[in-house]
Amino acid sequence: MASPPNSGRNTSGLRNEAGAGPTMLELKAVSKRFPGVQALDGVSLSFAPGEIHALVGENGAGKSTLIKIVTGLTSPDEGEIFFEGRRLCFQSYRDSLAQGIDVVSQEIQVIPESTVAENIMLDKLITRGKTGLIDWPAVNRAAAKALDIVGLPLPPETVIKSLSAAQKQLVQIAKALAAEAKVLLLDEPTSSLTEHEARTLFGILRSLREKGQTVIFVSHKFEEVFALCDRVSVLRDGRLVGTRRTEELTPADLVKMMIGRDIVQTRPAGPAASLGPEMLRAEHVVRAGKVEDANFSVRAGEVLGFYGLVGAGRTELARVLIGEDELDGGAVYVRGQKARIRSLADSLERHRIGYVTENRKEEGLFLQSPVRTNITVTVWNRIVRRLTRAVSRSRESAIARRMVDDLDIRATGPDQKTEELSGGNQQKVCLAKWLAADCDILIIDEPTVGVDVGAKEQIHRLIWDLARRKDKAIILISSDMPEVILLSTRVLVFRDRRIVGEVGGLDDGTRTYAEVSAEIGRYLH
Amino acid sequence: MTTHDRKRSGVSGRTLGLAISAAILFAALSLLSQSFLSGYTMFVISRQMAFYVLVALSQAFCLVVGQMSLAVGAIGSLATIVLGLGIDTWGLPAPLAVLLALGFGVLAGAANGWLITRLKIDSFIVTLSMMFIFMGLRSGISGGQPYKIPASFSFVGQKSLFGVPYVFLLVVLLLGLVGFMYRNTVFGRRMLATGGNAAAARLSGIATDRMVVWAHVLSGAFAALAAVLWASKLGSAAPETGDDWLIVSFAVAIIGGTGLNGGVISALGILMGSAIFMLIKHGLVEVKANPYYANSFLGLLILLAIVVDRVREVYSGKPKGKASP
Repeated sequence: MASPPNSGRNTSGLRNEAGAGPTMLELKAVSKRFPGVQALDGVSLSFAPGEIHALVGENGAGKSTLIKIVTGLTSPDEGEIFFEGRRLCFQSYRDSLAQGIDVVSQEIQVIPESTVAENIMLDKLITRGKTGLIDWPAVNRAAAKALDIVGLPLPPETVIKSLSAAQKQLVQIAKALAAEAKVLLLDEPTSSLTEHEARTLFGILRSLREKGQTVIFVSHKFEEVFALCDRVSVLRDGRLVGTRRTEELTPADLVKMMIGRDIVQTRPAGPAASLGPEMLRAEHVVRAGKVEDANFSVRAGEVLGFYGLVGAGRTELARVLIGEDELDGGAVYVRGQKARIRSLADSLERHRIGYVTENRKEEGLFLQSPVRTNITVTVWNRIVRRLTRAVSRSRESAIARRMVDDLDIRATGPDQKTEELSGGNQQKVCLAKWLAADCDILIIDEPTVGVDVGAKEQIHRLIWDLARRKDKAIILISSDMPEVILLSTRVLVFRDRRIVGEVGGLDDGTRTYAEVSAEIGRYLH
Repeated sequence: MTTHDRKRSGVSGRTLGLAISAAILFAALSLLSQSFLSGYTMFVISRQMAFYVLVALSQAFCLVVGQMSLAVGAIGSLATIVLGLGIDTWGLPAPLAVLLALGFGVLAGAANGWLITRLKIDSFIVTLSMMFIFMGLRSGISGGQPYKIPASFSFVGQKSLFGVPYVFLLVVLLLGLVGFMYRNTVFGRRMLATGGNAAAARLSGIATDRMVVWAHVLSGAFAALAAVLWASKLGSAAPETGDDWLIVSFAVAIIGGTGLNGGVISALGILMGSAIFMLIKHGLVEVKANPYYANSFLGLLILLAIVVDRVREVYSGKPKGKASP
């Protein structure tokens, strides 16, 4: 791998790149560390007035941390932020709003029970003089104006919860526009918009540019970056790779900047996949509103990739398979037998299917408990002493210690509190509990989100070994295309709740990464 | 998950702190009052402590799985009525009436658990409603009059072994079993896991709904047991039994270190909590505090216990970010 280009450590270098023009918002050598992850590492960036500036990078590259710092949701460990030449020191999100920095976040954050107008005007409700009483007609008028700009023909009194996801997203955009912010950050704003709505949005953003406002646009979609943005800054592993004018750049250059190499990591050495019997098969699986007619099968020794955008139906399908969500139609076969899985307890005890959640802190771990508890929770009932019905401490410790050794979990020992581990090691603990329970079908959801590079490679190695050496059948859900291509034998592409394509034969080494990714990419449009 | 989970051998810092507090209170009361160290006072105090422990456990079972029960006292009260009806009205043999009362506690708890998990209603709402339903039933059925029970029934509640009340011995034994259950058995550990992180527990293959139902069943059973023993102590089945249990159950459980967010319990802590609670109440009598203010002291005590716990958390430097998401 080539050494990364000069990152933000070199402040003056960036200045030259950015040109000597005026700046609206400037970050100087900003660093932020979270337990186990260096989220931002000496990033210096400047945003000019009257530009649309794209911010791209893989998952975990530091984009969301950067947004949080700019909007005052978190404070940097080191470095400074300048806004119109003044040094900023936010105590809270309100501070950044007051300064004229607003954000449209990726997740939809609306108050479902209140009206569209109230959501738009929430932070700037108009009152009758100093009485503190809300002037609803004025609020509704102001909101209607903002709605008109985003092209959402709704009465301002409409209650939010009846809106579609796209409409809610537009309401959020209207809210940010109504604030007349000088800097507007948009985090994946088009993820739930139709093409028409997206085009309207781009028109609005261009008019903001004309007015001299700064738009910071976070996106995974290259076509948007090239069509809309003047400049693009690329983050990788918490560092700034560089800032370029989009007209001087090709999509291939941008990929190279994001991923850091032409061809992604080579596959770990090892035997070619020798596939065993079919372990899991889904036939016409339906989950109302989430998954439509999913058909696939996965064999022992195989890694089946589920690729697609968030909400495309991948995790939703996984949740049906493990019985966390109800099956509304179709059938699931485990080892050739029709299976009725009603809960994760069923999938674990009867079918030896394990599920590593994408959300390890909320759904995967008992953070306050020791590593030992988290690893052995799935096997307590198997290591009970006959007489006292007590869990055998010695066997429990032995299992935990074996897993800590096998998976190279960096902890002081099985008794260390899980919260104290780094993201990558926590992820290994999440995997370990299913291996301890001897599961041979594993559904692994976004295994490397929020883990640093070293741990990422270890986890990749581990997943590879589980399939190749231990003959596990693995379903790998990931939004990280290099990861999916690197590890999978076969990839299913999900779009709009359906499996829209299959790309097989990834391990015969006949195609390059670029060819495979292009093939997968074709199904996404 | 539990304090035990982290420190297997010996006693956690929190429980040690409770024991020291209890010892200081004990020493202070010994100096303050001549009669304190008498056998009689010890008998009364330890017996009352036993009831506090039972009532606190009844609450703690629910707290551990991340729930609460406002119906603790109401279940106790109606269990008393069932006992009284059985013995006094229907003329059943005492052991059978006791079984009926305990059975009622189990059923009431199961009903709470079922409503909460099946209909997905918050435990606060369900147990609040059930509390009023049970309270109404007890007044309606009993008309406010106590039921007579035979003198022989009072053996457990009024007698002692070498000066130690039978009730206390029984409760210490139960407390040991409960501690063992949470520390060592799959059942107990799964309840702790459910309270520690319900989503993670469910996604680790634990039937969390079942754990919640069981927690309420245990809660109901212990409330009914406390009621039966209370009748044995009083020598009659009094309808007003359980009227002050709600606040006591929270106070002793919280002082004893039971986590309000679930997943943490210490049997020894609850014993110490009941001792502290009892000694402070006794102390207030000794210093002739106006009994009309008693509830204010109780409330203050609960607040103090939570504040102390919070301070400990902040100074041990670990989960201090919890207050803000």
